[in-house]
Amino acid sequence: MAKIANDPAAGWFSPQNRRETIAGLLFIAPALIGFAVFVVGPMVATVVFSLMKYDLFSSPSFVGLANFEAMLDDRRLWKVLGNTAFFAVFAVAGNVGLGVVLAVLLNRNMSKTVQYAYRAAFFFPSLVGLIFVAVIWQFLFQRDIGVINYYLGLVGIEPVRWLSSARNALWSVIILDIWKNVGFAMLIATAGLQSISKDYYDAARVDGSSSLRTFWQITLPLLSPTILFLLTMNTIGAFKVFESIVVLTNGGPGDASRSLVMYIYEQGFKSFNMGYASAISLLLLTITVIVTAIQFALSKRWAFYE
Amino acid sequence: MHISWDMTPARLSARRLSPETRAMISRLRTALIYVVLGLGALVMVAPFLWMFTTSFRPVAEAFTLPARWLPGLDSGLESYRRLLASDVPIGRFFWNSTVLATSVTLGYVATTTIAGYAFARLRFPLKNALFALLLVSLMVPIQTTLVPLFLLMRWLGLVDSQWSIIVPGLTGAFAPGMSGVFGIFLMRQFFLTLPKDLFEAARVDNAGHFRTFWSIAVPLAGPQIAALSVIIFTMTWNDYFMPLIFLNSVNQMVLPVGIMSIRDPVGNSSATSEVIAAVSLSILPVLLVFLVAQRWIIDSFVRAGVKG
Repeated sequence: MAKIANDPAAGWFSPQNRRETIAGLLFIAPALIGFAVFVVGPMVATVVFSLMKYDLFSSPSFVGLANFEAMLDDRRLWKVLGNTAFFAVFAVAGNVGLGVVLAVLLNRNMSKTVQYAYRAAFFFPSLVGLIFVAVIWQFLFQRDIGVINYYLGLVGIEPVRWLSSARNALWSVIILDIWKNVGFAMLIATAGLQSISKDYYDAARVDGSSSLRTFWQITLPLLSPTILFLLTMNTIGAFKVFESIVVLTNGGPGDASRSLVMYIYEQGFKSFNMGYASAISLLLLTITVIVTAIQFALSKRWAFYE
Repeated sequence: MHISWDMTPARLSARRLSPETRAMISRLRTALIYVVLGLGALVMVAPFLWMFTTSFRPVAEAFTLPARWLPGLDSGLESYRRLLASDVPIGRFFWNSTVLATSVTLGYVATTTIAGYAFARLRFPLKNALFALLLVSLMVPIQTTLVPLFLLMRWLGLVDSQWSIIVPGLTGAFAPGMSGVFGIFLMRQFFLTLPKDLFEAARVDNAGHFRTFWSIAVPLAGPQIAALSVIIFTMTWNDYFMPLIFLNSVNQMVLPVGIMSIRDPVGNSSATSEVIAAVSLSILPVLLVFLVAQRWIIDSFVRAGVKG
């Protein structure tokens, strides 16, 4: 270890270390204060509010675990939770699966310009606001004047009720999500691919291994940490699905496509059940923590680290 | 039948086919991959193409099928003229979005850069514990803290003011859709990669810690800071959730909320043309930045991933 001017053994506030200690604390102070006021404080308050009945107008009253008991009997909550889980499973599988395949296909030797053009085309939707692209897709998904049904009609497929049928609504949201986010997964997977040593591929070539076999036996295992990371990030993100549903179906028909975050928003800011909304928020936090914990546990057993 | 890996076509071809045939198969396969990727890329681009084309078509024909994909000679600015002439204050929305995204970006990047530097380069008590605490907060979704955050902003009198979103951004607590820790983590990782000698030299010159940060670390971090700025600016520009909760009056609205407020049920084609023109305008800044800095943005994402 290189010689360090600051020696903790001399004490943080010894004349020799004082300047650095003060500088360090000052440098992190704005972030730390903001973090305390806008993240930790509200977090603690959410727990407190979840034990209360509060409608913003009259003063809050303590109700114990009543909000959590109400959650158990709330059929709509279970419906929106089921919708959100359904969305998460297919959107995450589609994003990560397609993203990895695209990354692998684009990682071969090809003209750099062509490669950038493809990557740019796939990545650009990730940079555009969900509200903006969802508004476009809402037109594309229309039954009678929509472009998608027009082209399906050309190959003899009957007009699909993309947004107004309970069976299709959530699938439409999933299609939009994959279209929007697959490019991001592709770029992260590309980064993972580029960190794999070329030696493995040279060895595979010498063995005369087919490209499919190389993919299963070399690329996929060595990419597993990246894939795991993508699965976790995408799952956490998917549980927050909100904007695309608001634009495309507004949760309907009925509750067919309503999501957990939409429900939190509606309970809190439309029905003014702040306590109940807080209790459901904690459910969202619990899910996030569980997904992250599973990643931690799995990364020790499943992911292959070089 | 048992299929072993040795019976895959490539393996067979390696044994039986002449080098010329194998080369041809390989070329064919490459061509096929290009075609499939090309179709995929078309699907990615088509909605934007449809949007821009439609925004330039005469309002009466905007939704006639078959859709046309390139603006024709009859293309015009009718939709844009109607949008500007309507009571929709699209200019106001645009200005609000610009002010909001710029202020949040400047504040967030400044705060997280200096904090990232401190966590990477300076020694002070509780450093590691505080950093670990920040990392844990990465898990907390903004939706979880929404109710208290709203009440806090109401108490501070900031509801329906841009400050309700700018202030958390300025402190680096979070930017819309992005935990504050993201910026601190990204910058810390960068500063850790800089050689120690650079900073030792400054210490020998007896430069203060802020001067060392400002005149040595910041210039070197230029590209990293620029990449973080682009990410935060676009995230803030695109965000709907926080402005939906905090900015309600028409005068305070930003583009995503404004567009949702003017959106009509589909079918009324003159109003919908205006919406499409408004969306086109909203996407334009992101598109321009991307077209100019495309390679650099893609590379910085790929590199950020490698560093993890």
